[in-house]
Amino acid sequence: MATKGFFTDTTICIGCKACEVACKQWNQLPDDGFAFTAMSYDNTVELGASTWRHVAFIERPVALSNQSAGAFSWLFSSDVCKHCARAGCLESCPTGSIIRTEYGSVYVQPDVCNGCGYCVVNCPFGVIDRRGDDGRAWKCTLCYDRLREDMTPACAKHCPTASIQFGDLDELRERAKARVEKLHEAGMKEAYLYGASAEDQQGTEGLNAFFLLVDKPEVYNLPPDPVVPTKKGKDAWKSMAAAAAGVALAAVGSVLFGRAGVRS
Amino acid sequence: MSEIRYPDSTNPVFTDGRDIDTGIGALVGEGSLQRVEPVDKRFKQDADVWRDLPHSNPSDATYYGRPMLKAPVWAAYVPTYYFLGGAAGASLALGAAVQLDRSEATSGLVRKAHWVGIVASSIGAGFLILDLGRPLRFLNMMRVFRPTSPMNMGAWILAGTPPAAIAAGLFARSSMFRMIGEVCGYVSGFLGLALCTYTGVLVGNTAIPVWQEGRRVLPILFGASAASTAGGMLGMFNDLNARERRIVRAFTAVGAAAEVACSKWMDHATSRVEQVGLPLRRGLSGALWNGAGFLSLAALAVTITPGRSRTKRIIGGSLAALGSFALRFAVHYAGEASARDPKASFHLQRTRR
Repeated sequence: MATKGFFTDTTICIGCKACEVACKQWNQLPDDGFAFTAMSYDNTVELGASTWRHVAFIERPVALSNQSAGAFSWLFSSDVCKHCARAGCLESCPTGSIIRTEYGSVYVQPDVCNGCGYCVVNCPFGVIDRRGDDGRAWKCTLCYDRLREDMTPACAKHCPTASIQFGDLDELRERAKARVEKLHEAGMKEAYLYGASAEDQQGTEGLNAFFLLVDKPEVYNLPPDPVVPTKKGKDAWKSMAAAAAGVALAAVGSVLFGRAGVRS
Repeated sequence: MSEIRYPDSTNPVFTDGRDIDTGIGALVGEGSLQRVEPVDKRFKQDADVWRDLPHSNPSDATYYGRPMLKAPVWAAYVPTYYFLGGAAGASLALGAAVQLDRSEATSGLVRKAHWVGIVASSIGAGFLILDLGRPLRFLNMMRVFRPTSPMNMGAWILAGTPPAAIAAGLFARSSMFRMIGEVCGYVSGFLGLALCTYTGVLVGNTAIPVWQEGRRVLPILFGASAASTAGGMLGMFNDLNARERRIVRAFTAVGAAAEVACSKWMDHATSRVEQVGLPLRRGLSGALWNGAGFLSLAALAVTITPGRSRTKRIIGGSLAALGSFALRFAVHYAGEASARDPKASFHLQRTRR
């Protein structure tokens, strides 16, 4: 089975939030309460246990390079679980609840998850979250149920501008490269791909859901250089070996110290 | 379905947050299994209303200052467990070392070490189970053996420790099974070494900036702090002989000294990128961190002061235990603060490049 994924081209996103609604409807996710953030048109704020697509609204006092309307631009970006090639949540899951599916996506099995919350601190993108009232961790499933029926995930299906494109990862990468070249030709020099391949993003070894952006990742609330924690975890394990040896030495040393006291 | 009154509405609304008429549509979607409590309880905190138009800083951008990472969902059970697991682990390690000495004079200390180890690790394991979102599924931790997950490794270590310690305690005085008791004593000591240090890997092996930067320090810091707690606790018993007192005093002093040194190392390791170390200097976590540093220094001073009164041992032991307790909470809350600060992650990752 070929690896499936999303290519989200943020330059043609119009911020309609159809992806958010389609995701909620198809997956029958509960609402998050109706809060008003007062910060922009974004009242969803972030991805979460019951929000698997989130459209970011970015108001910048900066013009795009092919824009003549003055120092302002409005960027939209539909964020989603990246289904990383090396997934922090999957590698840290102590129950084996989080698995890699036949489509290359990362899936949380709700019947296995015991809600330990370790995946939450291991996702370098802040995607997966535990729902307090439900007790388990949830995130985008890449519409696993739809993929099994040969259907396109709900968000991509509903995107009216094809900002969200779904397909075989290899094909999406080609399409994305062509799109960046086209944008560069049209004068939008700042367009680039985020996480499109293992070379692009070594820390995660590439994202199955990658993005075309026109500003720094931070602007979209994406990390500039995410690394799956396990890659650095070796340092911690080495320190643990040293620490265990230290405690053992201290214990044996104390016993010898006690014995010396009796003799003297 | 429960009756929910939205804050700004006059009429109560019946909803599970989905509003699907089950007469028309079946609840079979992948998110339909989410159990939902009344909406009011889970309302997000509204952002502060803007007084001025937002000015984004292109050279130091964030998304309206919103967190990039998710904060740990763990309650106070988890840092309390770090403390209890540490005390249990170091106590069992000391017990095994004393047992190695094979002296009648110190067999009382071995029993006390087992006792502390059994109680602290069992309560700690209970706290961890209570912290799970689905506590009844705690045995799912044993479905897999996964070295990439420190949480899974910890579950195996923690599952082995109390049984080994209980067996060691039970069989130590029986004439028939004495060998088994001794072997279990050494096994519990070995597992104890892992139990008091792996929690440092657990927090170090995450995406939270302040924990990640401290990953080389945390296992050693937690191990040192566990030794001072275990020594301090064992020192509080009233029927220790002179030799046993010397042992626990040395163990406490070495642990507290290492704890003080590792705190400085942690300050240094997290100050490479200014934004990453902030939670250890500011706010609740900063206050706890400074308090922990002061307490462990005080514990060290009291422990090395000459004198053999029990009052002195109780004061020294309490200071050591309080210091370790504050230290675990400081690290926990620092992680929460660090996750809420998007600039901590961004600056760290930009520096790495």
